[in-house]
Amino acid sequence: MSGGGGGIARGRLAEERKAWRKNHPHGFVAKPETAPDGSVNLMVWQCTIPGKPGTDWEGGYFPLTLHFSEDYPSKPPKCKFPPNFFHPNVYPSGTVCLSILNEDSGWRPAITVKQILVGIQDLLDQPNPADPAQTDGYHLFIQEPTEYKRRVRQQAKQYPPIV
Amino acid sequence: MDSEDDMHDANDVDSLDDFYSGDTGMASDDGDGDYEFIDNDTDDSDDSTSHRQQQNYTILNEEDIRQRQEEDITKISTVLSIPRVSASILLRHYNWSVSKVHDAWFADEEKVRKAVGLLERPIVQIPNIKELTCGICFEAYPRDRMYAAACGHPFCGTCWTGYVSTAINDGPGCLMLRCPDPSCGAAVGQDMINILSCEEDKQKYSRYLLRSYIEDNRKTKWCPAPGCDFAVDFVVGSASYDVSCNCTHSFCWNCTEEAHRPVDCSTVAKWILKNSAESENMNWILANSKPCPKCKRPIEKNQGCMHITCTPPCKFEFCWLCLGAWSDHGERTGGFYACNRYETAKQEGAYDETEKRREMAKNSLERYTHYYERWATNQSSRQKAVTDLQQMQNVHIEKLSDKQCQPESQLKFITEAWLQIIECRRVLKWTYAYGYYLPEHEHAKRQFFEYLQGRAESGLERLHQCAEKELQVYLNAEGPSKDFNDFRTKLAGLTRGRCLVLHL
Repeated sequence: MSGGGGGIARGRLAEERKAWRKNHPHGFVAKPETAPDGSVNLMVWQCTIPGKPGTDWEGGYFPLTLHFSEDYPSKPPKCKFPPNFFHPNVYPSGTVCLSILNEDSGWRPAITVKQILVGIQDLLDQPNPADPAQTDGYHLFIQEPTEYKRRVRQQAKQYPPIV
Repeated sequence: MDSEDDMHDANDVDSLDDFYSGDTGMASDDGDGDYEFIDNDTDDSDDSTSHRQQQNYTILNEEDIRQRQEEDITKISTVLSIPRVSASILLRHYNWSVSKVHDAWFADEEKVRKAVGLLERPIVQIPNIKELTCGICFEAYPRDRMYAAACGHPFCGTCWTGYVSTAINDGPGCLMLRCPDPSCGAAVGQDMINILSCEEDKQKYSRYLLRSYIEDNRKTKWCPAPGCDFAVDFVVGSASYDVSCNCTHSFCWNCTEEAHRPVDCSTVAKWILKNSAESENMNWILANSKPCPKCKRPIEKNQGCMHITCTPPCKFEFCWLCLGAWSDHGERTGGFYACNRYETAKQEGAYDETEKRREMAKNSLERYTHYYERWATNQSSRQKAVTDLQQMQNVHIEKLSDKQCQPESQLKFITEAWLQIIECRRVLKWTYAYGYYLPEHEHAKRQFFEYLQGRAESGLERLHQCAEKELQVYLNAEGPSKDFNDFRTKLAGLTRGRCLVLHL
């Protein structure tokens, strides 16, 4: 028994997909994974988050994967950047640490995919020093702001727009 | 066993009671190492357990807890003129303290409402259209299949049920449930739960609510005994932390370890840590048997007191603790059955030992072993006494009543004796932890402590021996025994004598 919501995960994701197609923020990409044989897996979404203009993240188009479970939307999806992504609140595995994605505190079932992606875009330029997830990003952010900014800009260049 | 001797000894204890009955002026019960004798026995000889009667706590069963919780909710609901569900949410937020709710509410109602999620009016008006879209599954449903908390954010019944059920199955956090809308702080109370949940989830929720009343409240705790459902309401600030639950488990309110008077909580914590760190060593050293000092056959101690008689043909009688012969053991150590003094014990075994051996005696492990062994022995004796008491109450009292033609009400002195034994074993056990941590250089203190411990121990051994072994004669008798009344006098006397409580 996965909280009565058993079964609604796919229906909700199909609706999310429809809503996204109708309208989504500029520069963002979010689509379910397509297998080589052409079948669609609604439970894994490949997304892109653009760095906010006017910040050190500008110009980067960062790949993010959302893994939904059968308990979704009772439980939040797991959101992952590539491993070793440079950011104080991203675990070495790439998993994003963000209050609204925490099933024990901030997550509410009414949070949409769009809200998740915009929330993570905000997090990129506004790290939360109270919740460090990696040593590298955290120490530079706290102790060497100049080096931190350099690393962020360098990473943005690593992820150019996919044409 | 010649009972004349014992009678004499019982009287001896009485006279000692008189000796100690005046306040000795060494009083200070805050655990800083001073001693105090509390003689509960001087004025009222029936008051054999008076320290239990000056209760600074109340034992609550589930019914009591529900009733108190309901009363508190009613109080808040009436005074604040809010629904009972809201009162319950408020109380939980303020750890079930009625006065804290009052203070906070009347200081700034607006702020409290916001923090707790109690809205006065909806945030959104449900639009007056036929179909609404659920914010969770994004499906459209007719209005009458949508539900909302006080805020008005509509979600369909299925999604609500899933949301609530997930929260309940995630644990007591469900008591602080808010609306599923991410921007909304509206509280979801038990009224919504009851509409939207299956029977099992409703039960779980109500269980968490009951538990919260005990666990989040500063003044209440569950009894820590396994399987016990009683809770304790404690008057915070009381001098004694000892709590005796209706399930017979005694524990310390402060640290919830078993009751450990006269030793303070930090000593107990140290001692327990030490025991667990060295327990494997100890287990090895103190394997469950000892060889009979005479015939060397291994003996397992399964009786309560320290007087061991080896099985025939050996029949050697000895003291379980020091393994000395029962007959000459008492004279050498001064006390009749005393076997408590580390130094004395060391010297006893060291008559033929070298100086080097004497130094070894100071070895910390040996010292620890000495105290641990006596601590553990009293522990298991107490455990045995608890079982014996049950057996006594369930079987033997009735049998004895038949055999001796005594109404059961006249046999209460036996139960009282066993309760006293259990209590004394507990105290005595902890005196060994106390003794272990008593600074070596404080000779006077140590001597006085060991003297008191010795008195306590020998008295208890007499009592335990009498209640366990001498009773057998009357249990196994064919008909009423002429001297049963003498036995009653003796056992009751020994029981009273043991009210001498050692306070450190």
